[in-house]
Amino acid sequence: MSTEDRTNSASYYSITEHDQPGKLRRQLSFVLRSWTLNLAGAMEFRLSFLLTAGMMMINNIVWIVFWGLYFNRFQVLNGWELHDVMMLWAVSAGGFGLMATFFGNASRIANIIATGQLDVYLAQPKPVLLHVLISRMSVSAIGDVLFALLVFAIFGDKSAAGIAKFGLAMAIAAVIFIFFSVIVNCLAFWVGNTEGLSIQLFNALLTFTTYPTSIFKSWGKLVLFAVIPAGFISYLPIGLLREINLPFLIGALAVSALFVACGTLLFYRGLKRYTSGNMMTLRR
Amino acid sequence: MSSIRVEQLGKAFRIKKKQEGFAGSFKSLLKPLYEDKTAVDGITFSARQGETVAFLGPNGAGKSTTIKMLTGILHPTIGFAEVLGCCPWTERTKLSYRIGSVFGQKSQLWYHLPPIDTFELMSRIYELRRSDYLQRRDEMIERFELAPYMNTPVRKLSLGERMRCEIAASLLHRPQVLFLDEPTIGLDVVVKQRIRRLIHELNEQEGTTVFLTSHDAGDIEQLCERAIVINYGRIVFDDRVELMKLRYMTHKTIRLVVADDPGDMDIPGATVVERSETKVVLSVDTSLTTIEAALTNVMSSRRIIDVTIEDPPMEEIITRMYGDFGEEDCSS
Repeated sequence: MSTEDRTNSASYYSITEHDQPGKLRRQLSFVLRSWTLNLAGAMEFRLSFLLTAGMMMINNIVWIVFWGLYFNRFQVLNGWELHDVMMLWAVSAGGFGLMATFFGNASRIANIIATGQLDVYLAQPKPVLLHVLISRMSVSAIGDVLFALLVFAIFGDKSAAGIAKFGLAMAIAAVIFIFFSVIVNCLAFWVGNTEGLSIQLFNALLTFTTYPTSIFKSWGKLVLFAVIPAGFISYLPIGLLREINLPFLIGALAVSALFVACGTLLFYRGLKRYTSGNMMTLRR
Repeated sequence: MSSIRVEQLGKAFRIKKKQEGFAGSFKSLLKPLYEDKTAVDGITFSARQGETVAFLGPNGAGKSTTIKMLTGILHPTIGFAEVLGCCPWTERTKLSYRIGSVFGQKSQLWYHLPPIDTFELMSRIYELRRSDYLQRRDEMIERFELAPYMNTPVRKLSLGERMRCEIAASLLHRPQVLFLDEPTIGLDVVVKQRIRRLIHELNEQEGTTVFLTSHDAGDIEQLCERAIVINYGRIVFDDRVELMKLRYMTHKTIRLVVADDPGDMDIPGATVVERSETKVVLSVDTSLTTIEAALTNVMSSRRIIDVTIEDPPMEEIITRMYGDFGEEDCSS
């Protein structure tokens, strides 16, 4: 059979409905299916799954005990009470947990770029950044989310408004964590494998989000709000959960939106410089 | 109608050069040296819908880089390309609904999950109509004989089983063009045969354009009607596979069965490849002598019982072709 015959005889029909209405519903279905598969993949190794998530909860509880001992001796720390510090830990661990559970590749983007693993995502018709982010789930981070919910259940305001405010605080923290990570990882497009540097910068952010903002003065505070955006997470227990401080809340939301925009822009700019690679890769 | 059109497409990479050892690494840290390497150097070709094209060349010739540009993974440095009327790197999303790609070294299957789960995710990625997806999935499972593996985690599958699942997954959305980058790498002969048959059937029945890179002679001989050969980023041959065989087939093999022990044979333009008591295999360089002259030479001193004249296998042609490129480069 000649090429012409084949072309004529084969009646091509498309079975995709990507150009039909309902795009958002289908996008959501894709995201939900990815998360389900991530969880299913994590649960393939049942004991490891339970141990890893459990160990992370214990790890966080150690810090809670430490702060409990401190506040047992000193009732207030520059205006922060035990309840505020507990909520600080709940917001920080919860935000990080949401990032690593649902957008688990955020901290691995530099490695993915440097080892040419973006090829599979680029060959498929989904927003590349979203697809990369949701394609991995950190099992230990599930422990962080459970820990955050547990701390909130013990120390948090369980009224409808309290739950909504806590949800918003976790969402702001998660967005800042995700897109700060995206930005520092995207450096790999320009300066090669920056995995180590990205981890260090992200850990700096994470560490500072677990200390009350009131212990930092002048320059320290400036760095906390202007250089690394940790202040917009660590002040949430005071500026949102204890009482809504409107200028701070607007600032935190604006910073989150700015990080989303910069992270997305940087990633797609960087894609033009992507050089791929020949490493053998499997999706895990 | 052209399904792939490429004009003066080129890609250069900036590569860091480092001297040997720790001292070299330290020097490179303080004063890095870079070199521009042209992977693809202004290539031009086109392929019609339904055509099966083998894209050949030695390692580092620019094959994978070209495929990555045609699928929108890499942005070119210069030139233009169009696949199914779309520019791959600016209309990547739109195009990827209509093309399929299989990279032999990069899996799109989820390692810890069974293929059925990846297939399900693929249906969401390509936004397939549910009823059409189920029908297509069952058709792929039947055609690729995947039923026994569909519920086994990918990490437990053999390479051949995984590759069949990989190709089936990339065909779920009925692509019009299929890009295959070394799809049979590391597979055994039986599995290779089966995969070739399946791709061939797909091309025959659905009119899918197949664009394939491979080092395997069987892939080219059994699957492709046209070959494009690339070396150092430039196209050095673009014609039918049959013509490629003729151009690079400078040797023919003569198998002889003789009545008595043939003894030492000295035939100008021919070399003895194999010899036993009554059997001789000769490789005749047709640029130096003719088959007739070689046979006449043998018959002058020996009685021939049987004779077979064969073309060399495709494997040998490719080896010779890549060898010629090396010599050309050395002489230039």
